[in-house]
Amino acid sequence: MMSVGELLSQFGDKYLQALWTTYGLTVLCFAGALVLGIAITVMRICPIKPLQWFGDFYVQIFRNIPGAALLIVLVYALPYLRVMLSYYMCVLVAVTLIPSSFCSEYLMAGMNTIGAGQIEAARSLGMTFFQIVKNVVLPQALRSTVLQMTNLLVATMLTTALASQVPLNPADLTGIVTYINTHAVGGITAFMISAFFYAVTAVVIGQIGNRIDKKVRILR
Amino acid sequence: MSNGKIISQEPIIELKHIDKHFGSLHVLKDINLTVHKGEVVVIIGPSGSGKSTLCRTINRLETIDSGEIVIDGSVMPKEGKKLAELRSQIGMVFQSFNLFAHKTILDNVTIAPRDVLKKSKREAEEEAMQLLKRVGVDSQAGKVPAQLSGGQQQRVAIARSLAMHPKAILFDEPTSALDPEMIGEVLDVMTELARDGMTMVIVTHEMNFARRVADRVIFMDGGSILEEAAPEEFFAAPKTQRARDFLNSLGDRESRS
Ligand SMILES: Nc1ncnc2c1ncn2[C@@H]1O[C@H](COP(=O)(O)OP(=O)(O)O)[C@@H](O)[C@H]1O
Ligand SMILES: [Mg+2]
Repeated sequence: MMSVGELLSQFGDKYLQALWTTYGLTVLCFAGALVLGIAITVMRICPIKPLQWFGDFYVQIFRNIPGAALLIVLVYALPYLRVMLSYYMCVLVAVTLIPSSFCSEYLMAGMNTIGAGQIEAARSLGMTFFQIVKNVVLPQALRSTVLQMTNLLVATMLTTALASQVPLNPADLTGIVTYINTHAVGGITAFMISAFFYAVTAVVIGQIGNRIDKKVRILR
Repeated sequence: MSNGKIISQEPIIELKHIDKHFGSLHVLKDINLTVHKGEVVVIIGPSGSGKSTLCRTINRLETIDSGEIVIDGSVMPKEGKKLAELRSQIGMVFQSFNLFAHKTILDNVTIAPRDVLKKSKREAEEEAMQLLKRVGVDSQAGKVPAQLSGGQQQRVAIARSLAMHPKAILFDEPTSALDPEMIGEVLDVMTELARDGMTMVIVTHEMNFARRVADRVIFMDGGSILEEAAPEEFFAAPKTQRARDFLNSLGDRESRS
């Protein structure tokens, strides 16, 4: 089996590319999950019943199916519907949809910290539903869920490992392990290097999240 | 009128045959009430008599079963843009202040003028600072609500209402959540507003304040308006037994203060 040094000198650039693939997927998926999660949450609290039902249904679906199953559906089933997505896009979509449902759940919980009185005050000032969402509900829900969103970002990064299940070039941090082990004898060490990158990134994200939380936390 | 004030005959708030139930509880029974421009109407009555519900019905924070609400000649619709617009013309001050917890005091006052009235940031902030000064909390403009005392928060809430240039302001027990030593500072601001001619509907248990500031006192019990009179008339000689009982129940506390 190869040592860490041998692995890095032979596959260092591959690891770097893999790291970028993972980071790129993580950033895109998390941003997408935030936007989608916010949109779904607005549907769930809006006065229009069918939109509420749709939002609740959406969350139940994507919160409760395995990511791998969703990816399989996207890769194998979509072509039957004449929708052709690249492998990369399939991973992107799967790893956006699942975290978006969790994002919405966190926001719904975060909203419970906002007193009904503040909403009534906003209504009495003449604000419309969207103005209340924009001025009162979302800012407070987001600011009170920074730690949950931080965890979600880490979870999203770990979920991008689904990319290893489809042929990607360059591969992601998990996929690269398979690549190395088919081209050399990296064994468990090849995986440990990837794990190290995941872990370090997660710790850094956690630290940044803690700082942001301290800064934006709402005094009550 | 009690303080020699001349009240116009121009109606700002008209409630016509309002009925409302909470489930099987008939909480408002055929309420008819007109508040004229510049008038200060104080609503009193035992706890649970429907005072808050009536107050919240005026800007339709509560739904109603039947009846009509007219604000300065416009019928208040059930929902939609027009409702929001009419609401913006009626201020509301709550027992629990309800300031926006994530915004500074200044932003609390400017947010609605900017977003609802589309005023520029500069104009809204200039006016907000004047209003904060008027209620005596301008030195707190950069803080957030949780850093202020209850009395200060309630005065900010009044400034936030005033910033919309409302045609009337509704107060639902504005001093009931305050420590005793802070009640005076809020009542002083309200007294001043009344003197400046603001149209006000006030639910309160502060009887001396009611005596001093009200043009008209309304006594509610069991979801109905039982009496409606000038304060000196009402407090000296309440007509109904229930009003007499209510005033007696307030007892010594009021005769002392
Ligand atoms: N949201 C509500 N749901 C059900 N009952 C309510 C609600 N709000 C108030 N009530 C009931 O309606 C009655 C009148 O309440 P309220 O208007 O708050 O009285 P007041 O302000 O005079 O004390 C009370 O019996 C109260 O319990
Ligand atoms: Mg009440």
